[in-house]
Amino acid sequence: MSHSSPHHTAEDARPLAGFLVLERSRAPAAAYAGRLLATLGAEVILIEPRSGSVLRNAEPLIVGTNESALFAYLSAGKRSVALDLDDKQDRAQLRHWIERAQLVIDDTPLEERAPSPISEKAVAAVNPGAHFVSVLPFGAYGEQSSWRGEEINLIHASGEGYLLPNGYARALYPDRAPLRIYGPFAHYQAGCVAALSAMAALWSPCDEGQFVDVSVQDSALLCGAFALQRLGDGSLEHREGRSFRYGGVFETRTGFVQLLTLEDRQWHGLVTLLGNPGWSQDPALNDGITRSQRGDEINQQIRLWMSDQDADDIVARAQQLNVPLARYRTPFEVLSGEHEQSRGLFGPTQLQSGQMIPMLIAPYLFAETPLHTGGGVPALGSANVESTP
Amino acid sequence: MISNGPLAGLRVADFTIHAAGPFCTHVLSQLGAECIKIESRARPDAFRKPHAVYGRLTAATFDQVSANKRSIRLNLKQTEAVAIAKRIVALSDVAAESFRAGVMQRLGLDFAALSAVKPDLIMLSLSSCGQQGPDSHFAGYAPLFGAWGGLGYQSGYSDGPPIEMRHVMDHSTGYHAAVAIMAALLRRRATGSGQYIDLAAREVSSAMIGAALVQAAAGDTPQRPGNGSAQYAPHGVYRTQGDDQWLSLVIQNDAQWRELLDLLSLPADHRLREVDFSEVAGRLQQAAELDQALELLLQSRPADDWATRLQARGIPAYPSVNMQAIAENQHLQQRGSLTRVNELSGGERWAVGAPVRFSQTPAPGVYCTTPDLGEAEDYVYGELLGMSSETRQDLEAREVIY
Repeated sequence: MSHSSPHHTAEDARPLAGFLVLERSRAPAAAYAGRLLATLGAEVILIEPRSGSVLRNAEPLIVGTNESALFAYLSAGKRSVALDLDDKQDRAQLRHWIERAQLVIDDTPLEERAPSPISEKAVAAVNPGAHFVSVLPFGAYGEQSSWRGEEINLIHASGEGYLLPNGYARALYPDRAPLRIYGPFAHYQAGCVAALSAMAALWSPCDEGQFVDVSVQDSALLCGAFALQRLGDGSLEHREGRSFRYGGVFETRTGFVQLLTLEDRQWHGLVTLLGNPGWSQDPALNDGITRSQRGDEINQQIRLWMSDQDADDIVARAQQLNVPLARYRTPFEVLSGEHEQSRGLFGPTQLQSGQMIPMLIAPYLFAETPLHTGGGVPALGSANVESTP
Repeated sequence: MISNGPLAGLRVADFTIHAAGPFCTHVLSQLGAECIKIESRARPDAFRKPHAVYGRLTAATFDQVSANKRSIRLNLKQTEAVAIAKRIVALSDVAAESFRAGVMQRLGLDFAALSAVKPDLIMLSLSSCGQQGPDSHFAGYAPLFGAWGGLGYQSGYSDGPPIEMRHVMDHSTGYHAAVAIMAALLRRRATGSGQYIDLAAREVSSAMIGAALVQAAAGDTPQRPGNGSAQYAPHGVYRTQGDDQWLSLVIQNDAQWRELLDLLSLPADHRLREVDFSEVAGRLQQAAELDQALELLLQSRPADDWATRLQARGIPAYPSVNMQAIAENQHLQQRGSLTRVNELSGGERWAVGAPVRFSQTPAPGVYCTTPDLGEAEDYVYGELLGMSSETRQDLEAREVIY
């Protein structure tokens, strides 16, 4: 069997069914790559130390059980093999897995990786066809490749952190420190790049396994590439000036909403939604550039109007008028959302505590081969017995 | 035609518009896929016209997500143009679109129609809310995806309003779309089967708060942490020397804390040396006092200097950098993460290259600039479809090619 040809089994028709992936992760990027591949059908084996991955204790924790909600989300559908890599028998088990794998995803810092039995050289010696995907904060090459980076460092190392918050939050708190995006956002982008690159390596016409060097900083930087584009336009962006000329975050009686009208027709819809107030009838406002120049004045009027509205009511009316308006929804509202329910965004998944919860499967639907989260969150070493060579 | 990179030989018929869909196909192109950008003078791409709400009063001179692409004009409101589009799709591996739900069906270019001409087609429909579901008709852009999906609510200062996600929300959506397409391609290779992928950008926003959704499902109330952490202290962004200069810093364990105290050269009787800060539990309990004291101390040096000194001691630290600093970053240049590109006007500038390095099949990255409208028509209509000059002239005269 070629390293890029999976076994497609009758019981699992998901796209990556039959591929075996080994994941050694301590940060969310590599773990998210594994999670994406697992949900797409690959068999993903967590190679953990006997004491368990540090991600098992990563915040946020679930009150009562102290189970990591992040680990639960990132590891659903995977299996766990707990190994002491200094132990001879455990190394034999590791070799067994490496022999069968098409992909190894690893985020061990370079200085620790090199002497370990899961270095790219050690993997190639056992299985020359396996691709080795390295996922590190600043990549495996370059003068800062040994630098450490947690999420808050990496979102700022990519330039996006410096630009947050913009708009309403910036106006309210102009003296506060720049802000990260919630959760491991930069890591998630690198997880996507790692999963994409791993599959691209499988796709490539290459007999030998490739070394694939993914950097969280690079991945988040490409995600925010428009800011570098604007530098080329002569504009060095700052969170202060990054606001839309009009539109943005508004507070209603029943929560916050987001408004953004880019097209003329959307502006006219907005005027209708507002009830055609006198100020909006100024013919000069038919011109988009004039509207942008008078954005502060427009926003002041919208903010006043919004303050007395019901969020759900105006969102429904706005969308009928093709005005882009959305409510800022809480996690509870997303979880119980009628739209999400109807699309099957969540699937039953068992936590380590035994509790069954609806968990987000994947942000895409495959019409021909529906996805699922697999068997739940793996207990430490749950696949150890099976792994005996 | 690009002949290198892991995806060399792969062709994408690209109907995408705005940012999220074009980013997806741009990323595939950076890995070697050939991308045919199907557009029209009747509805020019956003970068080809002013964007006043964003403050841009002219067309862009460079557009990252259009770079590498081969542009053709095709007025899809005409029946003949739809037939030509199908011929292009028949020669492609992937078709990608990001119109509002239902538009491709109205054009006669939905998955059923396209898979009739290309039975093993991989087709991506990327939209704000997906192709099905009660909100599938909703219009939206990146900040709205962030709002609907929960990422906007969870982000922001703990005591402030939610924050507006910008183009990173679009591009994160594009990354996920590229992942889905690659998985479908691998399945096609193994089984010969096509696939239809329905991607909702608001669900990518939800995927980014996956842990908070787990908390909510388990009965907890997820908190908005701002820059703070329930696990580490210090954990935040701190003012340093200079105007608007900030350092992101995390102390992951007590050994790093001791290293930090040593680096700060604090006197023996300094408050931060007291025993209640020596362990993480104490530091978490007094995080506000700690942050305040630390911010005063960090103002003695520039952020760059602190980052170098802290990293030398194994402590995760990095300045909060703007794009000028990114453009001058030696590490990123060494990696080839930044690349020089030509503008339509003839100038040169920095753009972001491939975020990954392959040992055997190097990704081509950004290898050509933003295309002129219709610049690849000799290749696509001439070479690929074998149209004569007369036929093309006729189609242009009748505004099919327009």
